[in-house]
Amino acid sequence: MAVKNILITGSSRGLGKELAEHFLRNDYQVIGCSRSASEIEHSNYLHYQIDVSSPDQVSNLFFDLRKKIKHLDAVINNAGVASMNAFALTPVKTFQKIFDVNVQGTFLFCQKALGLLKKSPHPRIINMTTVAVPLQLEGESIYAASKSAVETLTRIIAKEFGYFGITCNAIGPSPIETSLIKGVPKEKIDQIVGRQAIQKMATPADVINLVDFYLSPESSMISGQVIYLGGIS
Amino acid sequence: MDKLEIQRTIFDAIEMVNNLREEDGQIPVSEQTDLYGNNGNLDSMGLVSFLIDIEESLQDRDIQISLSDERAMSQTKSPFRNVQTLTDYIATLVNETK
Repeated sequence: MAVKNILITGSSRGLGKELAEHFLRNDYQVIGCSRSASEIEHSNYLHYQIDVSSPDQVSNLFFDLRKKIKHLDAVINNAGVASMNAFALTPVKTFQKIFDVNVQGTFLFCQKALGLLKKSPHPRIINMTTVAVPLQLEGESIYAASKSAVETLTRIIAKEFGYFGITCNAIGPSPIETSLIKGVPKEKIDQIVGRQAIQKMATPADVINLVDFYLSPESSMISGQVIYLGGIS
Repeated sequence: MDKLEIQRTIFDAIEMVNNLREEDGQIPVSEQTDLYGNNGNLDSMGLVSFLIDIEESLQDRDIQISLSDERAMSQTKSPFRNVQTLTDYIATLVNETK
């Protein structure tokens, strides 16, 4: 059986790192990237230290990657930044940074990966969103707006890339203990969890379960979908 | 890379498309061939796939360009109208990389 290649953005820490380690345990060739260096040392792991929102750096990544692999089975657009602030007090710089990484980064990787993805028998794109979108969380207006854009990209890419047999779906994790929410007060997290149908914190394993579901060859009819954890809809 | 080499690359990409098509859907391998738009031989996703094949052929020669263009879907100004306009467009982009 051919080696499966998966690219994960934001793989140096948190959920991205957990995902990378999961796929390494399952004999995938994992290509990771992040602004910082990676601590993962594995013969099947290749790391690019780049800014995912930079068109030139993303182009260079794929230019180099094409010399190393002939196809890509999946891209997980996991890299993301969040910022909690009242809408009226959010600096435009924060707005730009969040949209650059979350929206432009996802846009660039979906676009540039197309050539390698279309050579896979079961090509998949998985984007990361957040429960802050359906819950319309106060204090997360820009972060939630950026992820709304990612959800719309997901649905339209699903339609356009369906031509190539590529499915494109999204996952909206409910709160997980990762660096992304370390600045959020405990009471706020408890409030969010209290609004879930399943009132407990999620774990990386819950996300990995959903990723595996989307990646399964049997999931070829599932595209343009956004699934939130915790029973949020 | 001169225009003749670029045209050869485009012709190779047309032949790759033709390999996947039935006999009655073959795209003529010619400088005058309409690619996209009025009388074009490619639909929008066919064009995307075709351009990716060309980008990858160029990358194999260590030429890194992006063929995405804001006029891509325009019927009149698109550089993807026919083999001739696409050759000129790629030549311009290749020159810009020098």
